[in-house]
Amino acid sequence: MSVKNGINGWAGTIVRVNLTTGAITKEDTLPKYKPYIGGMGIGYKVIWDEVPLNTDPLGPEAKCVFGVGPLTASGVPCSGRMNVTLLSCWSKGYSIVDGHMGGHIAHAFKYAGYDAMIIEGQSDKPVYIRIEDEKVTIEDASHLWGKGTYEANAILAKENGPEFDVASIGPAGENLVPMSNIITSFGNSAGAGIGALLGSKKVKGMAVRGTGAVKIAQPMKVRLLSNYMIKDLVGGNNNHTVPCHAQSWSEYVATNNRWQGAPGITWDKASRGPIDMGEQPSGVINVAALRCNKGVFDFGEIAEKYTVKQGGCASCPVRCYTQYDMDPLAEYDLPTHVSNTCMPIIKMLEWYPNHKDAEGNSVPSTHDFVDPKDAKMILGGAGSRAADDYGVWCNYGNLYEDFNMAYSTGVLKDVADRLYPGEWDEIPWDLMESGDPRWVVECYRRISLGKGLFSDLGLGTFRLYEKWGMDDPEKNVAGVSFYDFVNAKNFNIGHNGYPRHHGPENCWQAGTLYSMMYNRDCMIHHLINFCSSGAPYNEITKPVLEHFFGEGCTDAQKKYTPINENKIKLAKWAFIGKQWHDSATLCNWMYPMTIATSKKRNYVGDLDLDAKYMTAVTGEEYTREDQERDSERISQLLRAITAISFKLNLDSSNLRKDHDRVSDWVFDKEPDFKPFEEGTVKLDREDWEKSLDMWYEAMGWNKETGIPTRATLEKFDLKECADKLEELGLI
Amino acid sequence: MGEKGKFLDKEYTRRQFLKLSGKSLAGLAISAALLDTMGVTARAVAEDKVRVWAFPQGLLVVNADRCVGCQRCEINCTLTNDGCCSSYISRVKVTRNLFSSRNGSGLYTEDNWNYFPDTCRQCEDPACGNACPMQAIYADEMGIRRVDTEKCIGCGACTNACPWHMPTVNPVTHKSSKCIMCGACAEGCPSGALSIVPWDRIVSAAQKV
Repeated sequence: MSVKNGINGWAGTIVRVNLTTGAITKEDTLPKYKPYIGGMGIGYKVIWDEVPLNTDPLGPEAKCVFGVGPLTASGVPCSGRMNVTLLSCWSKGYSIVDGHMGGHIAHAFKYAGYDAMIIEGQSDKPVYIRIEDEKVTIEDASHLWGKGTYEANAILAKENGPEFDVASIGPAGENLVPMSNIITSFGNSAGAGIGALLGSKKVKGMAVRGTGAVKIAQPMKVRLLSNYMIKDLVGGNNNHTVPCHAQSWSEYVATNNRWQGAPGITWDKASRGPIDMGEQPSGVINVAALRCNKGVFDFGEIAEKYTVKQGGCASCPVRCYTQYDMDPLAEYDLPTHVSNTCMPIIKMLEWYPNHKDAEGNSVPSTHDFVDPKDAKMILGGAGSRAADDYGVWCNYGNLYEDFNMAYSTGVLKDVADRLYPGEWDEIPWDLMESGDPRWVVECYRRISLGKGLFSDLGLGTFRLYEKWGMDDPEKNVAGVSFYDFVNAKNFNIGHNGYPRHHGPENCWQAGTLYSMMYNRDCMIHHLINFCSSGAPYNEITKPVLEHFFGEGCTDAQKKYTPINENKIKLAKWAFIGKQWHDSATLCNWMYPMTIATSKKRNYVGDLDLDAKYMTAVTGEEYTREDQERDSERISQLLRAITAISFKLNLDSSNLRKDHDRVSDWVFDKEPDFKPFEEGTVKLDREDWEKSLDMWYEAMGWNKETGIPTRATLEKFDLKECADKLEELGLI
Repeated sequence: MGEKGKFLDKEYTRRQFLKLSGKSLAGLAISAALLDTMGVTARAVAEDKVRVWAFPQGLLVVNADRCVGCQRCEINCTLTNDGCCSSYISRVKVTRNLFSSRNGSGLYTEDNWNYFPDTCRQCEDPACGNACPMQAIYADEMGIRRVDTEKCIGCGACTNACPWHMPTVNPVTHKSSKCIMCGACAEGCPSGALSIVPWDRIVSAAQKV
C-alpha cells in the first residue's frame, strides 16, 4: 500500500509473476520507471529491457506487462484504465502493442499496492493469478479452461468473494487466436492479442482485491480540481460539450453527438420505472452521468426502451456503457443483459451482408424485431455479448469489415473452396440470411476455435490478407488490394493490418499522421473529440484551438487545407498526449479538456489540467512541459522499438516506406473532387509527403527513413536505443 | 409523512425525517411534489428501494436505480476524510455491491445491473457503539455518531456488530472509521443516486400537497 510506503500517487511496487518457476517477486517502481510515468511507459521500458524484439510473441520468452499510473485511482475522474503491453502476434513487423481496459480492475490493482504486473514464462496447466493486497499467488484454473468469459468471471468472483474484481480470457485466447482480448467488468476489454498471449501461458485470468489506499499529497486539491473539471469542463462521452437536444441553459445545440441526455430521454427499464434524464447544466455535478446516454447515440431513441442504467469505469462521471435488458433476445435463448460501447456493439450488421436470393437478386439479410429499425441494436446486443464471451477482439472493426468485404466480393467463397473444401456447406448461412441473432454468435464461436475458415479472420488483417491473397490484386478473385481499394468498408489506414482510428475522414493530415505511428489502431481521440463536440466551428472550435496551437492548426469538416507548421504542432500534441494518457492513466476518450462546457469560460478548456492533477496527487511540481517531455520519451521509445522490430522481423531499414505507407484509397476516394475542395476528405499525395517530412522533422527523425536520430534519442535519455539502432545499421 | 400538510418549518421537517431515517418509506403517502424533489418514483418507494437519512444539510436520499457504479462516492469520502483514495475504508460502500455482492447482485451475477451504495444508517440504538469495548463511538451535539480515535483500539467489534458492516478498521492506522455525515459522497455523486436535498426544498415541496 502506498500509504504505507509513503509515496504519493504511485503504489511503489511492481510484481513479477514467473509462470515457469512459480516465483513471485517484487521490485520498487520509482527508481527505474519514474521517467516512464506508469502504465504504457512501464510496459515499453520492461519490454525494451527484457524481451528481444525478435522473440516469438506467443513463446515462453514473451512477456506482458499490466500497468497503471500515478493518477490511476487517485480520485481524478476517468482514471480507471489499465494498460497492457506485449509484442504483437498479428500486425506487420510483430512489434510492440498495447491493450487498455477500463471497468474497475485498475482501481482494485492499485489499491492492492501495485503499479504493474509483469507476467513471464509459461505454465504447463491452466492457472489464474490471485492478488489480495501483498498476497499474490498462482491458482489452479483447470475448472475455468474452455469457459466463456462471463461464466469464468462469475466463477472467479464467486470463489474469491464479493470484494474481488476479476478478468478472464475466452476460448479465443485459449486457442491462440490473435484477435483476442481479456474481459473485465461487463464488456470492458483490453485487446491487441493479449488473449492469445495469456492463452499461450495458460493464464485464464486474474482476481484482484485491494484494501489499501493511494496516498495523495493534496487530497482536497484533487477533490476541488475534480469538481471543477466535472462542473466546467467535461461534457458527454468523447468530451462532447454541447447537448444534442435543446436544454434551457445551453447557448448551442449539437446536430448529433454523444451528449444525448435531455428531458424526455429516459432509462425506460430502470427496475422501478423510467428515469428521466432531465436537464444537465454545465456547473452541476449531480447530473453529469445523465448526459451521455450512449445507447441513444448508438441506436437512436429505440435504445431507451431497453436501457436499465449507464455503466462505465471506476472514477468516471461520464457513463459510456449503456446497460441493456434486450428481451427480444430471449426468444433465441440468448442472454438479454448486454452492455458495450462503440465498435463492438454498433457494427454488428457487418456480419449480415446482403445475400443472393433464389433468383440471384441481392436482398437484405436483416429484419426488424419489435420496432422499426431495431435490428442494429438487437443484433448489436447479441454480437457484443458473444464477442466478449468468446474473448474475441475486433481490431477496431476490421474483423467484421474483413468478413463483409470478403463475403461481398466473393473472396470468402473462393477461399473456402480452395483452402477448406466442404466447410462452406457446414456453415449455417440460413441464420445469416434470416437475420437471426444466433448467426453473429456462431461467427464469434467459429473464430474462437482457432481452426477453419472463420478462424482465419481471427488471424487479423495482416496475416489474413497474406493467407487469403487479399493484399495482392493478382491473388484474389476480386482482383484488388484490400488495403488500397476504394470501398466504404475499407478502413485500413496502411498495409500493416489495422484501421485508422479517426484519421483522414475527420482529422485531416493530423489524424492520418498519428494513425500511422503505432502497431495497432492509434486510439487517439484528441482531435475527434473537439471535431465532434457539437460546438460551432467558427464561433468556438477554431478560436479555441488557434488560441492553443496557432493560426491554421485545425480544419473544418470536409474543408481541408494544405499542411502547415501549426497542424504538425497539433498532431504532435495529440500523438505524445496519447502516451501520457495510457501511462498516467487517464481515459483518452475523455481527456484532454480542450473545449469546455462552460459559457463563462468562453468554452475554452484547460490543457494544463492533467499536470495540475499530477502536482496535487504527487506533491511534486509538474508542468505541461514535464508531461510532454516524459510522454515524448515514451513516444520515441515506441518508434525506436518499431524500427528495430521491422529490421529484425522483416529486414526493413525504412519505416517511412515500410511502416508509414498510407493506403491508396485515402487519396483516390471521391474521384469527383480534388483534394482540399470543400466537400471531400480525400488527401493529396504530394501534400502527404510534405506532411511526413514536416512530421519527422518535428519528431527529430530522419526524413528518409522515419527513424529517430541519435541526438533525439539521447535528448530523452534513450542512448541504449540509439546504440542498438546503430548496431543494426539503422542510424 | 402520513400526516402530510403538517410540514410547517425546516426544523419540524427534519424532526419528522429523523424518525424515518433508514426506515422503510413504503406505505407512506408522499406527495408528487415531494417525490419529484427527492428524485424518486412512487414505485421505488412502494417497493422499499428508497432510503432517506436526515443530515444536518438536508435529506440524504439513496436511489439504487440511479447508481451507475462509478465509485466516486467512495473516492470523495476517502479524499475528504482520510487524505487518500481508497475503497475499503470508505464510509459509503458501493464496490462490495458492484461485483458479486452477498445478496446475489452485481456485474458478475445474473442480476447484473443491480448495484447501489450502502450508507451508514445512523441507528438510534447503534450496534457499532454498543459493541465497542472502549466506548469509542459517541454521539456529537448533532446526534452524529463518531469514532474517538484516541480510544479506538481497532479491534473490529464495531464492524462485526453492525448488521451492514459499515464501520471499517483502517489497515494502515488500525483505527475504525464510520460515516460522520459530511456529505462529500452525495455532493460528488454524478448521477443523483446519492443526493442531499436541502431542507428548504423539502419544506417547500412538502407544503405543495
